[in-house]
Amino acid sequence: MSHTFKGGVHPNYMKAPEIPVTVITPPAQVVIPMTQHIGAPCQPLVKKGDVVTMGQKIGENPAPVSAPVHSPVSGKVVAVEPRPHPFGDNIMSVVIENDYQDTPCTDLAPLTEEQLKDPDAILERIREAGVVGMGGAMFPTAFKIRGGIGKVDKLIINGAECEPYLNGDHLTMLNFSEELLRGIELVRIASGVEKAYYGIEVNKQDAIDKLNSLHPEKYGIEIVPEAVKYPQGGEKMQVKAVTGREVKPGGLPSGVGANVVSTRTCYAIYQACYEGKPVIERIVSVAGSALKAPVNALTRVGTPLGYLAEQCGGFVKTPRKLVLGGPMMGICATDLAAPTIKGISGVLYFTEEEDKHVDNPTCIRCGKCIEVCPMNLEPVFLYMYYSKGDYANLEKYHVNDCFECGSCAYNCPARMPLTHAFKTAKLMLSAKAAADKAKEAK
Amino acid sequence: MNEKNERIVFDVAFQPQVRTDRDTRSLMLDVIIALLPVLVVGVWQFGTHPLLVVACSIAACVFFEWGYRKLLHKEQSIGDLSAVVTGLLLGLSMPSTTPAWVPVVGAFFAIVVVKQLYGGIGKNFLNPALAGRAFLLSSYSILMSTWAVPKSLQGTVDGVTMATPLSYLYGDAAMPKYFSFQSLFLGNTPGSVGEVSTLILIAACIYLIVRKVISWRIPVSFVGTVFVLTLLFGRNGDHFDFALYNVLSGALLLVAVFMATDYSTSPVTIGGQLLYGFGCGAITVLIRYFGGFPEGTTYAVLIMNLCTWAIDKGFHRRQFGVSKEDIAKEKAQKMAAKEAAK
Repeated sequence: MSHTFKGGVHPNYMKAPEIPVTVITPPAQVVIPMTQHIGAPCQPLVKKGDVVTMGQKIGENPAPVSAPVHSPVSGKVVAVEPRPHPFGDNIMSVVIENDYQDTPCTDLAPLTEEQLKDPDAILERIREAGVVGMGGAMFPTAFKIRGGIGKVDKLIINGAECEPYLNGDHLTMLNFSEELLRGIELVRIASGVEKAYYGIEVNKQDAIDKLNSLHPEKYGIEIVPEAVKYPQGGEKMQVKAVTGREVKPGGLPSGVGANVVSTRTCYAIYQACYEGKPVIERIVSVAGSALKAPVNALTRVGTPLGYLAEQCGGFVKTPRKLVLGGPMMGICATDLAAPTIKGISGVLYFTEEEDKHVDNPTCIRCGKCIEVCPMNLEPVFLYMYYSKGDYANLEKYHVNDCFECGSCAYNCPARMPLTHAFKTAKLMLSAKAAADKAKEAK
Repeated sequence: MNEKNERIVFDVAFQPQVRTDRDTRSLMLDVIIALLPVLVVGVWQFGTHPLLVVACSIAACVFFEWGYRKLLHKEQSIGDLSAVVTGLLLGLSMPSTTPAWVPVVGAFFAIVVVKQLYGGIGKNFLNPALAGRAFLLSSYSILMSTWAVPKSLQGTVDGVTMATPLSYLYGDAAMPKYFSFQSLFLGNTPGSVGEVSTLILIAACIYLIVRKVISWRIPVSFVGTVFVLTLLFGRNGDHFDFALYNVLSGALLLVAVFMATDYSTSPVTIGGQLLYGFGCGAITVLIRYFGGFPEGTTYAVLIMNLCTWAIDKGFHRRQFGVSKEDIAKEKAQKMAAKEAAK
């Protein structure tokens, strides 16, 4: 029996793992935002005119919750200024002119045999290589692992890849199986646990078979096959599926002794420790009806979204929506000049074809939102409270538990903007709480 | 950079960026598909007149919905097909000999008064088709309770009209031989056009459950409650036979599958749906035992419709991450704090 959770949906997966990885030629100019993680933004370490090598550290912040950024190409810094960020706004960025030499930086040497067994050395390297949660959360990984030491008895590696269109994790499992297992072993050593549980959805049976054939138990890893259902890759759902434990409301997985690290993060950790390579590239699944065909693109960080589309065959239709990540939880970008960053696992160029928007939708009270909510919420009622501005009931019925997986809105036959409403409601609640606090202080 | 690209203005929206293909219209279309065989059985048993009744009923429902929204400058909603479903159900809940103008009157009450005055789909608190039927039942009670002899019983029964199995149950009379379980199951029985064949209604119910239009909870708890209560408190003869007759005759299945499961007027929580089905069943049995009619399903469901909101309030789900033990612990702590304060 495969492991899973209660609720969830079965979206049209649209996956294309059979398409081989295309290496995208880096653009003539890369744009590296100083904010590619949750936490303190980096300060640029270079100035206009500086010559940089591939993998050289170009931004850093000593705060504990932060991750440095590195140059994905070698060349010359042509500007250090605010540039469009994929998640909106203009953010301080370093613009580098590519000399197409890819002159490597030698600052990070591969770790020695002893270092590979030393948790502190591994964590130090994870931080230095700028590894963040590459499933999309972009939380600095070294801080996350350090925070779980002593508390965590179940280390879970997230191989669900439950979002439609995305293939990066699956391809990594198939093409870099051994490296991936070594990467997971490093995370396990750094976390100070005996065993790591690797949760993989059974639609990637070929990957499960391949990993199992390499004797994962040698690395202290157990493969856990999971039911194919969105949002299986959600942190709380992974913990529930693998351990049966439920993360406390408002709490972290480490509160119930679990920590979840994504597949691509583990591979990045392998590269950082065994190859001395910082996070400067990743597989980005490029798809959508504006393109002729989907592409699994090995893309350097800092590649502008418009350039990426050109390299993937260009537009056959004018795109209407630019989605970063998967279509269920992905964020809309508005600027083709904005670059890809570490946490972006997919870029979707959508047209009217994918759009099922309805003006003035009407709830028919079918309750289909309730049966799919993995957090046991009742979206139909929460939406009512939201429309009425009823803060008390929004809070009473746990709108803050919503992690915006989008299952309710996906499943809504009336096309109600449910997730949108709850996202807004949470912001309203936190603004109200802050205002109340300020009032009390007076 | 490519200048042409930079001029594109992109839409933005919060997640999700994709939606299921299932929309309101496709759900309603499934209900219509499930009702078509029911209509076919009605035509087979009662001739083509019911077709005219159903057609008038559908046309009137769609027309009133369109006209009301046109008149009040509201966005048109007939495209969601819910008015067609209401018309179809109203027409199918009439006796086969009803004049074609009767459902038109019922349609006005159902669509304008019950549905649109409260805001249209999703906002009405009574099931429109059932409310329309109840309205007609009290306005034209003779027309609404004259039952033609179905084709399969012509020759066996003399005359043009006959009593339904329910009236034998109601009058504590012995059931005639031609009302065998088999004939009731297949549809060889008088009654409203859509209610005669239990077999077809069960098939329709399975179709709707498989297509995820409805859940099993309301129909099963509704019919199950009627069966269990009539079995426990059987009135004459064999209790089991009595219970089975109660389930097989009358509009019980038509109402339990198609009307009690109406989205707007039934609970959305799991426990709520079970309690609602139980309530519908219990009131049906009470009316059949002690009420003024042999049939009780219409009023039973309308009464439970009125309780729907209150029922849902009582069945909120357990918060993720908070177990029953956690809740008990918190309660104990609160009690202890209260004691200490005393």
